Amino acid sequence: MRLARIAWAFLRSAVQHELAYRADFFGNVVRSLLGTGTAFGGLMVVFSHTESLGDWNFPQMLGLLGVFYVVQGVMAVFMSPSLNKTVEEVREGTFDYILVKPVPSQFIASTRRFVLWHVTDVALGVAIIVIAAGRLEDKVTLMDVLVFLAMIFTALSIVYAMWLSLTTLVFWWVRMENVTMIFNVFYETGRYPVEIFPFWLRQALTFIFPVAFITTVPARAITGREASWLTWIAPIVAIVVVLAASKFWRIGLSRYSSASS
Amino acid sequence: MTADISVRNLVKHYLVPVREGGLRASIKGVFKRRHRRVRAVDGISFEVARGEIVGFLGPNGAGKTTALKVLSGLLYPTDGEVAVLGHTPWQRKRDFLSRMTLIMGQRQQLFWDLPGIDTFLVNKAVFGLDEPTYEASFNLLSEMLELGDLLYKPVRQLSLGERMKSELAAGLLHSPSVLFLDEPTLGLDVTMQQRIRQFIKDYNAATGATILLTSHYMADVKALAERVIVIDQGLVLYDGLLQGLVESYAPHKTITLQFEQPVEIKDLERYGEVERIDELQFRIKTAKDAAPGATARLLADLPVADLSVEDPALEDVIDQVFRTAAE
Repeated sequence: MRLARIAWAFLRSAVQHELAYRADFFGNVVRSLLGTGTAFGGLMVVFSHTESLGDWNFPQMLGLLGVFYVVQGVMAVFMSPSLNKTVEEVREGTFDYILVKPVPSQFIASTRRFVLWHVTDVALGVAIIVIAAGRLEDKVTLMDVLVFLAMIFTALSIVYAMWLSLTTLVFWWVRMENVTMIFNVFYETGRYPVEIFPFWLRQALTFIFPVAFITTVPARAITGREASWLTWIAPIVAIVVVLAASKFWRIGLSRYSSASS
Repeated sequence: MTADISVRNLVKHYLVPVREGGLRASIKGVFKRRHRRVRAVDGISFEVARGEIVGFLGPNGAGKTTALKVLSGLLYPTDGEVAVLGHTPWQRKRDFLSRMTLIMGQRQQLFWDLPGIDTFLVNKAVFGLDEPTYEASFNLLSEMLELGDLLYKPVRQLSLGERMKSELAAGLLHSPSVLFLDEPTLGLDVTMQQRIRQFIKDYNAATGATILLTSHYMADVKALAERVIVIDQGLVLYDGLLQGLVESYAPHKTITLQFEQPVEIKDLERYGEVERIDELQFRIKTAKDAAPGATARLLADLPVADLSVEDPALEDVIDQVFRTAAE
């Protein structure tokens, strides 16, 4: 309850912050439309030559693209802004003010910044998923939707854990820009189902940098594809990585507290 | 009297990477880092009673800020015991964090692009203040610091002094019982320093809060703290009344003289070290015990127009403390 009120206070200040920069909103809408439009067009071109990509047909690929944008949008709304802000504050020393607050530091570090304009990415992603679902051969059942929502939640938890872990590295390495860039490069692979990649890369994208759980698994649920064993272990993976990331954060903090002056 | 802050043999050492200049050393440094142990705080002990204002004095790098960070729970000490409000700070218990504040003159917590009031509202939620408590605290601080409409302008548009006033208010909204102030007047002009000082004094009188402040402006310390703790190279050199510091480290007084007509300098030299300001003005540094006798004889023997006896400037005393320690 108290934490919800704090997040609400951060959100309110974010709204005020962004109302001051309205031009960003329109810029972002245009950027989102162009981005999704290009991706959409790209898919059309590919599917004008072939019936399927690694046995995913056009509507299914579209569903995957929608999931990709939803997750990317949520990341851009609060995960990357909050955590980038935290990296900046650790570097500048103002992070001390977070540590002296009577609230778990991980909570503040993860919720303090919202960039609301990126909600447009989420909305476009949802629209693409809806269009894709309408073009599938089989009707989407309520059960599909529920499993899909659970998988999206799982995917977001995993993405959050990854962001938090990357952020935690700042306690060892002060410069972090490259790390964020590497993250984005890997995330781009989420535009495609992991099945299309060669064996070794597929394994890496499932178990090391788990993009499979972030886009492929939720997209399977909403596009009527058979759930694989990955669907069943996804929630467990999410719980494990979130707990591990949180532990890593605490280790980073204790390093900060013992190594700095 | 209860002690709000108690520190026993606090030690804080940390490692910093060292590297010689030059490309070769830089390349070597990528693969193998050498470290140097810095003894920021090297065994200090003291207590601060409830409601006391204590000044923490020392040159840059003396360990003041490090000590303050340990006391506010930001850093784990290498060794020693610390209790603040009955808590071990670095456990960062909610009760402890809700009852203390850390305000750093060179680091700000206010959101840069937003009006100060937004930071206040976030802090209200963070500290779980209900509406009446927040109102009361807000009104008190707003009045004492004369905040007026400062809080409704984006922070980046405020002057340094206005920003510092807002920072103080943001850090005090939750009515903490213990205040750690690190260089609260840093970079401010003299008038604003004076205002901030007066505020700290009034705040202490109004709320009975315990205050530990660091500053390298002697005027801050002189105006605020009756008691000072002088530290250098991680060690306490002096802990006691400000007056006592002057007496024990500056066993001399300065007599400033204005004569009606020129005098022989050798007539003055028997009283102590003479400094000539101009033809008719002199300054004599004399032993403290000898000062009354010297004054009487100077008045009797020489054509004195004006005479004053003063303690040396606090800066000189502190300088003396550090020099004595170095020896």
